[in-house]
Amino acid sequence: MSSTSVYPTPINAFKQSKRSVLSVIVDNEPGILARIVGLFSGRGYNIEALNVTVVDVKKNLSRITIETLGEERVISQIIAQLEKLVPVHSATNLANLSESYEAEICLVKIEFENEEQDQKILNFADIYRSRTVQKRENIVVYEISGTSERINKFLDDLDTIGGIKVELVRSGPIGLGI
Amino acid sequence: MNNENEFTGADILLKALKDQEVDTIFGYPGGAVLPIYDAIFGQNFLKHVLVRQEAGAVHAAEGYARSSGKVGVLLVTSGPGVTNVVTGLTDALMDSIPIVCISGQVPSHLIGTDAFQECDTTGITRPCTKHNYLVKDVTKLSETIHEAFKIANSGRPGPVLIDIPKDVQFAKAKYIPKKDISFREHRIKAGSKSVDKNFVEELVNHIKKSDRPIFYVGGGCLNSGHQASQELIKLVNKTNIPITTTLHGLGCFPGEDKSSLGMLGMHGNYEANLAMNKCDLMINVGARFDDRVTGRLDAFSPDSIKFHIDIDQSSINKNVKVNFHTNTDITLTLKEINSFIESNNIDFSDKDYSHWWGQINEWRKKDCLHYEQGDEVIKPQHAISRLYELTKQKDTFVTTEVGQHQMWAAQYYKFSKPNRWITSGGLGTMGFGMPAAVGAQMANPDSLVIDIAGEASFLMNIQEIATAVQYKLPIKIFILNNEYMGMVRQWQELLHGSRYSESYVDALPDFKKLAESFNAVGVRAKNISELDDTINEMISIDRPVIADIWVDKKENCFPMIPSGAAHHEMLLSKYDKENPENQEKGKVLV
Ligand SMILES: Cc1ncc(C[n+]2csc(CCOP(=O)(O)OP(=O)(O)O)c2C)c(N)n1
Ligand SMILES: [Mg+2]
Repeated sequence: MSSTSVYPTPINAFKQSKRSVLSVIVDNEPGILARIVGLFSGRGYNIEALNVTVVDVKKNLSRITIETLGEERVISQIIAQLEKLVPVHSATNLANLSESYEAEICLVKIEFENEEQDQKILNFADIYRSRTVQKRENIVVYEISGTSERINKFLDDLDTIGGIKVELVRSGPIGLGI
Repeated sequence: MNNENEFTGADILLKALKDQEVDTIFGYPGGAVLPIYDAIFGQNFLKHVLVRQEAGAVHAAEGYARSSGKVGVLLVTSGPGVTNVVTGLTDALMDSIPIVCISGQVPSHLIGTDAFQECDTTGITRPCTKHNYLVKDVTKLSETIHEAFKIANSGRPGPVLIDIPKDVQFAKAKYIPKKDISFREHRIKAGSKSVDKNFVEELVNHIKKSDRPIFYVGGGCLNSGHQASQELIKLVNKTNIPITTTLHGLGCFPGEDKSSLGMLGMHGNYEANLAMNKCDLMINVGARFDDRVTGRLDAFSPDSIKFHIDIDQSSINKNVKVNFHTNTDITLTLKEINSFIESNNIDFSDKDYSHWWGQINEWRKKDCLHYEQGDEVIKPQHAISRLYELTKQKDTFVTTEVGQHQMWAAQYYKFSKPNRWITSGGLGTMGFGMPAAVGAQMANPDSLVIDIAGEASFLMNIQEIATAVQYKLPIKIFILNNEYMGMVRQWQELLHGSRYSESYVDALPDFKKLAESFNAVGVRAKNISELDDTINEMISIDRPVIADIWVDKKENCFPMIPSGAAHHEMLLSKYDKENPENQEKGKVLV
């Protein structure tokens, strides 16, 4: 019906999408991840990154960390919707805590062709204090951790070296209130 | 080993249902639930109502729940049995109706093999239930069932599904009674048990300060129980504040009371919508700022301070930002407000809001529900008005289908008690009303139960007439027969240049003969002179009756706020004398 309406479709010109990291404690039971992912897709929210692991075997609890984008009201709505899920104990926006710590881990495999590239890579790896996991003739694998932003920067710097092949995996951010 | 303390999964289910005081179950058998049907065969505490299609079972369970305040229960087989209830589960989720659906599943070892009548039941129903389970271990069955009932009926109620593979129905375990189960708090989500004193005080202060307050009451008030409505009446009487209700809130407050402005929203009353638009204090009691109620959001009640009482945290600030809110049960909160007023001797007599009421009475003069009944063709509004007049002395339960007839029922039938009005609001499910009437009649065997229907909707679950006949349920199906999907036709007339694409209901059955062929009774009113007699005849017959009421085919339902418009941009009916061109202008606008 809206196509024939002269009423303007409200454009949320002032919407401020913010990156938020949500930390969710859940009962570790079948279907819980599907419930959470389904909630996001069904209601049109974004998942930028997702991490799930059992954190308490005895109490059978998992911690799920979700990085999402949205204006503040949407984030509060996501939290409220998450807390309605039966197996969810709590859902917290880390940004709302007075103090929290965030980290991500990334494994990068780099193939290079010449000595010059190798030197540059080594240099960056040193600056970012990444750990060498493997090194063979023309392949090196690093492990780097820290905030997602730090990892982004490292990858951006690597990008400035022409002619190398990079393959990587990231855990997505995880975090804790302190 | 034959242990006397062990029971099959099927028997555990029945024990748990008995423990939960379930005495009625709506269902339809099939391969994956045969062990449960076998258990049902040998007992007599549980009445099984055999529906004719599983959709009928779920709507009947909804009707049962809404009219009784208890949890509605249904039983369906795997595969097509359970996919047939997806609409009804979604309906119950949208309208917060507590039901528990038991479904059979193929044996555990066949799950995942595309077995006969296998489907991913928990996957399909996850987004349309409040919670669901696949029980793979019979020792977990008792606890699961008790938790399911608790969840269905706590906090904001909703549908819960339990999928039980066939081998689990045969497997044996001990039964754990309800009293021995300790529920885990975080899973029940019952809402806060203590009233927010600060909220109460703020509210009372704001009431004292305001000049144009209004109560906006929704289905949450219903779900909080009859006492919520008692406390609400007390509070309204004390404060003399006008009150409007949503579609689901009808009956929480007596519709004929002088403080009632009737229903608000898309087809709500002129005075109710304008009062919402102009108020300076809005007190939302268990309503959820649905788009059919708010209209265009940026023009929704721009000048009011908003208070919101809702047990569901996610309903707060979802569509409309409010100034004060509480997540505590409505009954508890209203009670506290009333006792705060009493114990502090707060007197509202100086605060009679006479200016506000004067304004509202001006709006009321518009008489937005006015229609003109000629002396031949029956006006649908008149049919409902007469139905109301001729049944209001009885404790009548009204269900509806979806369409114009539903909105006319909401506008012209007045409810004075909660739980008497049972309609599909959030999902708007055609085919809801008749099976819901079956459920309501099962729960209230001695009451008059009427499904106010459209001929198109009625055809969607017409098979359930056989259920009504089999169980001697004297439900009345009151069809406002306009030979159109009237609501669709109305939108096409107003918004699509009267291009009536596929909205004419051709090849209709003869409803009288249809009734007779089902062994029900058919009656008919073709014109105004036959209307009252037909209604009276319908009421007097102690069997299922289909009343085929021929009404004006081109009548539209007004007032109407076109979707995307604001409360003060209402279209009024052609009977509105003051503003004849209002119509034409309105049409161009939308
Ligand atoms: C299952 C389903 N399909 C389609 C619709 C869309 N719809 C809303 S009202 C309506 C027409 C209903 O016609 P009828 O039952 O005759 O009622 P009337 O509006 O004529 O009173 C339709 C098709 C719906 N609400 N539900
Ligand atoms: Mg019709």
